[in-house]
Amino acid sequence: MTAELVLAGRGRRLVASLIDVLLVPALAIIIMLVTGVLEHAADWSASARPVLRMFALGVASYLILNVWLLWQRGQTVGKAIMGIAIVSTKSGGPAPFWRLAIRALFFPTLYLIVWPWAALFPLIDQLTIFFKPRRCAHDYLCGTSVIKRG
Amino acid sequence: MRRFILAAFAVVALGGHADAAVCAKSSPGLTKFYSDAWGLDLRSTRFQPADRTSITAANVGQLRLKWVYGLSTDEPRSYPLVTEDTIFIGDSGNGLVALDRQTGCTRWTFKHEGQIGSAILHEEKNGAVTLFFTDRTEGIFALNALDGTLRWKRSPPGDNPIPLLSGTPLIHDGTMFVPLSSYEVGLAVNPFYGCCTTSGGMAAINTSDGDGLWYRRTVPTHPHVTGRHYLFVENQAPSGVPAWAAPTLDSSGGVLYFGTGQNYSRPTTNTSDSIFALNARDGSVRWIHQFTSGDAYNTSCDLSEGHPNCPKPMGPDLDFGAPPILARTPDGRELLIAGEKSGAVYALNPSDGAIVWTYHSGRGGALGGVHWGMAVDGAAGLLFVPVSDIVAGHLTGKGEARPGLFALDLASGALRWSHLRKARCPDRTCSPGLSAAIVAGPDLVFAGSLDGKLEAVDSRNGKLLWSYDSWQEYPTTVNGKPAKGGAFDAHGPMLAGDQLIVSSGYGSFYQKGGNALLAFELSGNKAQ
Repeated sequence: MTAELVLAGRGRRLVASLIDVLLVPALAIIIMLVTGVLEHAADWSASARPVLRMFALGVASYLILNVWLLWQRGQTVGKAIMGIAIVSTKSGGPAPFWRLAIRALFFPTLYLIVWPWAALFPLIDQLTIFFKPRRCAHDYLCGTSVIKRG
Repeated sequence: MRRFILAAFAVVALGGHADAAVCAKSSPGLTKFYSDAWGLDLRSTRFQPADRTSITAANVGQLRLKWVYGLSTDEPRSYPLVTEDTIFIGDSGNGLVALDRQTGCTRWTFKHEGQIGSAILHEEKNGAVTLFFTDRTEGIFALNALDGTLRWKRSPPGDNPIPLLSGTPLIHDGTMFVPLSSYEVGLAVNPFYGCCTTSGGMAAINTSDGDGLWYRRTVPTHPHVTGRHYLFVENQAPSGVPAWAAPTLDSSGGVLYFGTGQNYSRPTTNTSDSIFALNARDGSVRWIHQFTSGDAYNTSCDLSEGHPNCPKPMGPDLDFGAPPILARTPDGRELLIAGEKSGAVYALNPSDGAIVWTYHSGRGGALGGVHWGMAVDGAAGLLFVPVSDIVAGHLTGKGEARPGLFALDLASGALRWSHLRKARCPDRTCSPGLSAAIVAGPDLVFAGSLDGKLEAVDSRNGKLLWSYDSWQEYPTTVNGKPAKGGAFDAHGPMLAGDQLIVSSGYGSFYQKGGNALLAFELSGNKAQ
C-alpha cells in the first residue's frame, strides 16, 4: 500500500457497516412501496412465491447499495457518511470490479450473526480486523484495504 | 476388538429400541369408527353415546395414563380418528400417523412436513376406506387408510389466493363441505399490504377426486378500493367473514349450518359474526342471522389501533369459533345452538334462524367466551358450555371473568349448574379458562383447561370426578421423542371405548406450548 493512505479506524468501519446493514432492508421497503410488488393478496399466494419476491427485493437493494456504489465511488452510503473508502491494497487506487464482486459476497453474511449456528463464519471474517493491519479476512482475500478519505 | 464388539452391540441395541415404536402389524383395523366428524357426528353434538365409550361417572376414577407419544410440534392442531385398534392423528412436521391403541407403536406414517390442522375424517366406499385431512395452507389430502398412501390432493377450493383451512370439513354421502378462512387477517400487519380483499367461504367438493361442486362466498360482493392510507397503499373492502370452524349438517333436511367471523376492513357486511344456513345440495342461502354488526378487526390492530390497516373504529372480534350444534330436546324439538366468543349462547329455530333463547355465560373476548366447541346431551336435555374468558389484551370483554363449565337446560337456556375454575398462579399462562372443545359421555363431560388440567365433571350436577395435570415432562414416550404438556386448547379430548385421547400443548396466543399426545385407559380393561 502507498505511504500516504491512512487505514480507517475500526470504529468507523463498524458504524459504516451498521448503517449499510440497516439501509438494505430500508431500501427494499421503499422499492416495495413504490412498485406495490407485495401490496395485493394475489402477491402472497403460494404460486406468486412471496418469499422469493422479498429475497429478490433484498438482492436488488443490496446490489444498488453495496455493489454499484462501491464500483462507482469506492464507497457505500455508510462508508461515505463515515468518511472511509475501499482501495486496492497494491495500487492504492480504486479496486477493480472483480475484486469488489468477490468482496460483495461477504457483506450478506453479516445478517447471519443473528443465527448462532451460522454466526461463526462472519465472526471469523470480521475478527481478523483486530490484527495489526486492520483488515478483515475478506480484505485479504480480495486484496483491498479500507482507508480514510479526507 | 472387544471395544468394537461392545460398540456394535450397543448400536444394535439402540437400533432395536428405536424400532420398538414400529408395530409388527402395519395394517389398521377399519371396521369400527368412533367418530364421523369433528363434532363426532354430523350434528356436531360432541356427545359419545354408550356404544362408543364405556367411560362413565362410576368408573372414571380408574382412568390411568397408558402411553405418551411425542408429537413433532409444540402447537398440535389435529383431532384423532379412532378405530377398533388404531388412532389416526396429524403430527405436524412429521405427517399423518397411524398408532396402535394399546402400545402407541406406529403402523404407518404418511410423511408430510406441513401443518395438519383438522380432525381426521373417513369415508368407506366400495369396501375401501379413505382418510381425509387438511393442511392449513396446502389443501385437502385423501389417503388410503390401509397403508397411508396418497389417493389425491387438492388445493383449497374457492377464489381466495391466500386461503387458510382452519375448520375441519364435513363429509356426507360423497360430498365434502370445506369451511374456508384467510390468512389475510394476519397479513394486514404489514403496512404495505393493501388491506383487505379476501372472503371466507364454504365449498363442496366430491370426495372421490376432490372436484368442486359449489362454492359460496361469505362476503357477498367483491371488494373495491375505499381509499389510500398515508403510505399510498390502497385500502379495500368489504372483506373477511371467515368460516373458522367445521360445519354442521341436517342430513334429512339437506341444510348446512356454519358460523362466521368478523370483517377485516370497513365498510362491513351483514354476513360477519353470523350463522349461515345453506342448502347442502347447491350452496344457496336459506337464511343468515347476524349477531354482531359492524365488527371489523384484523391483527394489525394488535400492534396499534393507529396502524394504517386497522379498521377505525376497531371492532371487538366476536367470531363464532365453535360449530353450531343441531340439538334435539327431550320432547323432540330441534334447536340450533350457537356459542359466540362474546360468551353468549343462542338457541335458534333451525328453519329460520329466529332466536328461541339466549344465555350469557362469561365476559368473553377475542379468545372466548365460547371458543372451540360445546357439547350437548340431548337425552338428558343438557347443553354444556366451556368458557375461556382468558385475557385477550385490548379485545378482552367487559365485566367479571367466569372461566369454567356451564350446563344449561337445552329447552329453555336456564342454568342448571356451573363448574367455575380458579387460577393455579397469577400468570396469564395459568388461565383456568376452557378454550378447547369439550366432549360429553352418557353421564360426564371431559374438558381440558388452558392451565393444562384435564377434568371429568358429572354431567348431572357439575361435581368434579377426575382430574389430571399435564403440566409435566414426559421423558419416556412410545416413539422416543421427549414430550411435555402445556395448555389444552383447540380440538380437545376424544372418547373411544375405554380410552381417552388428547393432545396437551398449544403455543399460540402466548399460551404454554407442548407436544404430548396422551392416551388414557380404564385400568384393568382392554380397548373395545
